[in-house]
Amino acid sequence: MSAFAIRASNLTRRYGERAALDGFSIEVPTGGVFGVLGPNGSGKSTFIAMLAAMEAPEAGTLEVLGVAPTRATLQRVGTVFQENSADPLMSAGEYLRFAGSLFSMSGAELRTRIPELLTRFGLEPRTNDAVSTLSGGMRRRLEVARALLHKPELLLLDEPTTGIDAEERAILWQALTDSAPGVTVLLATNDLPEADAVCERVAFMQDGRVLASGTPGELKKGLRRESVRIGWPTATDGELARIAYWPGAGEVTRIGDSVLVTTDDASTFVPRLFDLAPGAIRSVTIATASLEDAYFQHVRRRAEGVAK
Amino acid sequence: MSAVITIARRDLMAIARSRSQLYSSMLTPLLFLVFLGNGVSEGLEPSNLPAGNFTAYLVAGTVVMTSVFSSTFATASYYRDRDSGLLRFMLSTPHNPRMLLLGKSLAALVIGTVQALVVLLAAAPFVDFEWQYGVLGGVGIAIAAVVLVNLMLTGLAQALASRIQTMQGFHLLMNLALFPLLFFSGAFFPIDDLPAWLRVLAFANPLTYAVDALELAAYASDGETFIGLSIDFAVLGGLAVLVYAFGISRTPKLTYSGA
Repeated sequence: MSAFAIRASNLTRRYGERAALDGFSIEVPTGGVFGVLGPNGSGKSTFIAMLAAMEAPEAGTLEVLGVAPTRATLQRVGTVFQENSADPLMSAGEYLRFAGSLFSMSGAELRTRIPELLTRFGLEPRTNDAVSTLSGGMRRRLEVARALLHKPELLLLDEPTTGIDAEERAILWQALTDSAPGVTVLLATNDLPEADAVCERVAFMQDGRVLASGTPGELKKGLRRESVRIGWPTATDGELARIAYWPGAGEVTRIGDSVLVTTDDASTFVPRLFDLAPGAIRSVTIATASLEDAYFQHVRRRAEGVAK
Repeated sequence: MSAVITIARRDLMAIARSRSQLYSSMLTPLLFLVFLGNGVSEGLEPSNLPAGNFTAYLVAGTVVMTSVFSSTFATASYYRDRDSGLLRFMLSTPHNPRMLLLGKSLAALVIGTVQALVVLLAAAPFVDFEWQYGVLGGVGIAIAAVVLVNLMLTGLAQALASRIQTMQGFHLLMNLALFPLLFFSGAFFPIDDLPAWLRVLAFANPLTYAVDALELAAYASDGETFIGLSIDFAVLGGLAVLVYAFGISRTPKLTYSGA
């Protein structure tokens, strides 16, 4: 077995003037959950499309499970798309039988594997119900069960939990972890807290490139201990420059109407903040440094690098 | 090949479950026969018609019309699958997209053929068919003609569906192409008395050969007013293979994001 489930080097793919992937390189180790994190339009879905042999790179090399991706490779890959794929008029059981048949599973295999997965994903009581009657969370679970049906070695998850609540997410990830031991999971998402919770390694993406990759701990290393999110719509660039020089202050990033600051000690930082801008601050939220903070730090560093 | 059967079976199941589509697509041509056939027979002199009355005359055209619309509607399932995301999933399986199209078109072919034959057999007891080749021979010829027409129309619909983005656009274009073909096929009125330029159009129209074969199968005798089965099947067979092969060669224009 290869040490890497996926190896991509300098992948490039353009749609007209826009570069979806622009010198994208990554190595995904075999086994575990690897997160590809980035905002919408950063190139995550284009990368997954290449892994699923639905798009071809214009330049660069790509290996999936040790070979260049072809339709034959897909027998070893399961894919969950951003949107649901099930025919709403089919029952959950019919959809899985249909999917399994397209992966050349025998009737006997389907008769054991389908009830097993439906039970694990909490859908067994709904086996004969039309997909259209399932809740959004149930449909997402059905999609993941479908992708695992033929026992793939690599599972591609493209924003699999978008639009579902926290309880449903927990159920889905638990069922996935129980059902796919040893399977390499590539999770493309813009949900950084989720990635922080489930991924062993992650890569930050922006504008079709990898900004940084490593374990969440490695990427958070060097961050200040605490993260302060300040509701401060009127913050000026001058004010942000000042607080960046306060003792213990780290990265200062404006996100819409908020300002995100990492600091060694929020208990001394926040009172100074109210002294600086009395009446302008609407809210303050203090948290320990997260993967989100690390992401914004890398995005900012890249922006500064580009500006220089 | 199992993927083709799997997809065809699923499409047939979807159509069988859509009872309104299933029944209305068979009931509409039968109502057409009853009301239009009887109405026109009462109002016009039927002696010019090879079948002797307009209801019997309309049978061949109605069978072809059923094929035309059934295979077209069945092919439109492409859009339903695209919009539900199922097509994207099918394209993420190890199969060549052409195999997937083959499965979908096989279902459309079966539906179009079965519905057309149901209409023919449902009409048979009420009109005076001659069955010059015997009932079995006539039904056999009808089946062959209907299969070839459906093969050709399924290929045409598949080629258009793989390139037209919306179902509304697909139906508009299919109707634009198919109504003139139906009108100048001898389906609703004999083509012998048409002006010369319209007769040229009629003989360039593949549906004319299907109507001719069905008329010969059911109620007409070979004669000067008919084209003849050998030419009918040569034209239909050649075009069916060509158009179907073209349709299947047009792989779905679907990106990963479904656009």
